[in-house]
Parts: sequence; C-alpha cells; structure tokens
Amino acid sequence: MKITIATIMLACAIQAAPLRAQSLTTEAAVSPGVSTEENISAAAVQLRAFGDLKAGIRFFAEAAWATRSDDDSDVFGAAYPYGNRVDVIEAYGERLFRPRRAVVSVRAGRYRTPFGISAGSEHGYSGFLRAPLIRYSEYFALSNNFLEHGGDVVAGVPWLTVEASVGRPADVGSTVRRPGVDTAIRIQSFVGPFIAGASRLHTMPHMPHVSIYHLPENSSRGKSVFTGIDIRWMHKGVQLRGEWITGRHFDDTTTRGWYADAIVHRVGMGPVTAVARVERLTSDADPDWIIYAPRQTIGARIRIFDALSAQLNFVHQTGDLAWYGTRAFDVGITYSIRHDFRND
Amino acid sequence: MHRIYAAAIAIALTALTLRAAAPESSDLHGTARAGTNRAPNVVVWLDAPNLPGTAAGRTVVLDQRNLAFSPDVLAVRVGTTIDLPNNDRVFHNVFSFRDGKVFDLGMYPVGASRQVTFDRPGLSRIFCNIHPGMAAYVMAVDSPFFAVSDQSGAFRIAEVPLGTHQYRAWRAGAPQLAGRWSGGPLTIAWP
Repeated sequence: MKITIATIMLACAIQAAPLRAQSLTTEAAVSPGVSTEENISAAAVQLRAFGDLKAGIRFFAEAAWATRSDDDSDVFGAAYPYGNRVDVIEAYGERLFRPRRAVVSVRAGRYRTPFGISAGSEHGYSGFLRAPLIRYSEYFALSNNFLEHGGDVVAGVPWLTVEASVGRPADVGSTVRRPGVDTAIRIQSFVGPFIAGASRLHTMPHMPHVSIYHLPENSSRGKSVFTGIDIRWMHKGVQLRGEWITGRHFDDTTTRGWYADAIVHRVGMGPVTAVARVERLTSDADPDWIIYAPRQTIGARIRIFDALSAQLNFVHQTGDLAWYGTRAFDVGITYSIRHDFRND
Repeated sequence: MHRIYAAAIAIALTALTLRAAAPESSDLHGTARAGTNRAPNVVVWLDAPNLPGTAAGRTVVLDQRNLAFSPDVLAVRVGTTIDLPNNDRVFHNVFSFRDGKVFDLGMYPVGASRQVTFDRPGLSRIFCNIHPGMAAYVMAVDSPFFAVSDQSGAFRIAEVPLGTHQYRAWRAGAPQLAGRWSGGPLTIAWP
C-alpha cells in the first residue's frame, strides 16, 4: 500500500511537472557493477524529476530499480534497494523561505531520514561503491534506505540550523522498520572549512522477518534510538569527513560505529577523484554473536566523459566481514543523462 | 543685413543641433544559429581591449537552485565578481579546474554564498563536486560589449560605438567564430 501511494505521488509529480512547473529537470542513471567478493554483480537504474512549481514550491521525485546476483550478499550493500522492482525512493514537495538572513524550509512527503550525512547525492557521488557500514541496512545500525512519510522543517541561519522531522517509517530494501511514529532532530553548524552536526533518531526497530538475519519475532522490540555526530572539513579539493553513532537498534542492545573518509579532487587530478575510508561497527543485536565489522577502502572515481564515469574500489575487511573474504575489488560504471525544461 | 546674420546664425545652430543629434552609437541586434536551429546560450562579444572603465566592484549572480546552475551560460567583463549562492537544501561544492579561472569553493549549505572574481579573459567550466549533472560556463571577456543569446537565439549588445568592429562568438561544443561587423543585424551561424 505504501509503495502504491508513493508510486502515485511520483507519477503525479512527473505528470504534473511539465504542465505546471516553472522548471523541470529529469535525470536518468544506469549503474552496473561487479565485485570479486563472491563474484557478485549488480545493476541499478535511477530516475529523477525535480524543479519549481509556480507557487514557489519545489518538488523532487526519485525512483530506482536494482538487482543483485545474490540477495544474501554483503556487496554494494544499501547502495540501492535490491528488490528487482521499481521502488519510489523520495517524492516530496518543499518550500524555502529566506526571511532576512535566515533560512526556513518546510518539506512534506517521502524523504530520507535526516540523520547525519544522509543526502543521497553525498553518498552516491563521492566515488565509494559501498555505503558506510553504519548505513548498510543489515548490521543493526542505520540504512541508506531509511525513508520517512512525514514532514520536516529546517530553521536557522546558514551557519547554524536545526532540522526536525516527524514521520512514519517507509523503508525500502532488505531492512524495513516496524510501523509507528518516529522523530529525528539534527543541529548543524557551518564555520569556515568546517561543517559539524549532531543528530538523534527515535524510531521503530526493523521487522525481524524481512531482515537477512531472520531474528525471532520477540527479539526486535521496543524502540530504536541512535545519537550521532558528523564532521566535515574541506581545503583546496581535499575533504575529510566522518560520522560516529551510538545507540540501540532495539531494546537491550547496543550498536556503535564510525567511519572516516578522505575525498581528494585537486587541480591537476583532472577527472579523477581519489577516496579512502576506514570504518568500524560493533553490535550485540544478533543473539548468536557480537558483530565486529572493520573495513578499509581505497578507490577512485574517474569521469570518462560528461555522462560516463567509472568507480574502482579495493576493499580490505577483517573481523566478521572476513567470512565474505578479506579482500575484494569492486568496479562500477555509471552512465547518466539529464534534461532541463525551463518555461520561465 | 540683420536678416542675413539671423539666417546664418539659425543655419549654423541647426547644423550644430543636427550634428549633436547624430548617433555616435547604436545597438547591435543579432541572431545565433547552429545549422537550421536557433542557438541559445551563445556568447557574442566585440573586441575592445584596453577600453577605459572597469568591471571591478560589479557583482553578478550565478545561482545554485534545484541542482542546477542558473544561468547555464554567463558572460562577464574581466574584473567582475560572481556571487554563487546555494539555494538548495543540499550542499554544493563549486569548482573550476580546467581553463580560465581555477578555484574550488568547498562545500557550503543553503543560505550561504561564496564569491569569485574573474580577473582574466577566457572560458571557465563550472561544476559541482557533489552533483555531477550540474555544469555552467562563465566567459570572461575584455570588453564591455557582450551578450548571451536567449532561447530564440536572439541577442542584443547596447550602445556599440559606430564603426567597424571585430566580433567573436562562442557556444558550448563548437569552435569559436570571429568576423567583422559595421552595422545592421548580425547573424552568427555554425554549420
């Protein structure tokens, strides 16, 4: 039912846009990838439509289809929902107000849970083929595929904003939260080359029978609560960023994790963006063992020409992730097209 | 005798008035085409190096809104400062690494802005490091006489001094054109 409603919202947004929009941009991206880890292959298609309506309201809609050669694999986790069907990822309207030097933005619809560094574009473009483990869906932390049906407000000034969201979980992918009301709050500060944020999420734990872990029904109980800190620093084409989270995926459990990224795109590197990541995750949410997941990644994103890019990642992992193999080489390419319609 | 003087003075004044009213400049109107299609976003400018006056202190806006730069193509006089506000809720990271002005503004959030002064002539390709679909061109010209063609391919350069001028025209993905113009409508055409 939720998917149906969201699909209708997306369809309405796309259909209405050319008729009433002041501007409309459409994007399509196709992304196949392979990994030496279990010889997994995956493919995804993303469609987006966004722009301005005449009433000053902006709209954004994104749908994705993705499939992976093995559903139980760890490869490319949470980059897309690998359900071999079309899922609506986001479909919302928003309005931005600029009273004096302040910023107020109101959003309603279906959107990513605003916890930490959550924008899809920031994870999708940097050159990493795998989401951070703390956003990997299957490890009792957060997920790139956590979505809300609800409302969200950002208020403040550019250097200090507060964001609050109230909604109902509307996730896609392998881990779907129980129905209920959830809240997220985030404070973000921007000073010179630094951006720092603190987030808190009070939500529902995921349903046990849709997780790859198939937990006992009574194990996924109570509330899921997470607190996180994120920081970014940039200077002359070098970006360092990191997130740290702690909390519980459901009652009487603890999940902690962090990652630190370096993303380098300097003059002289031409079309190459180099990336490196170190990350750790621990969780005692699975009754059978305490998960300890360390991973290191180095890689690059290479823009071959404007519409085509390639991503190469070398992954080294130990702890419980060694079960999948300690080393993996991931390759992906993305072909994207974009068209702007402007009626103003 | 007085009548003759009066008539002479009247004729002289009329001649002076007519001379003062004679135009010393005119607007250049034109159309840009690519093949049989009208070409929008074509930058047309007239050579006028070392002309007095400066663009220092002048600010032009290149907006970031709805994951796009607006306008797509911007022409400025050398010395102009471009303001790049972020009017999206996501971060943007504007950079230009190829020809023209080289810079990287880092990430900044909604409501914040950064500025870049284009202090030498040439074409700059502007991108966002987070959103690969975002791209814009800034052409800095050493001339106060320039324009960008609209959606119908039309352009207008105001108050061009009378005479013969060297013009140049650029559009994305095509070779730069040049020629001479001395008046009347100008048609810029790529085959």
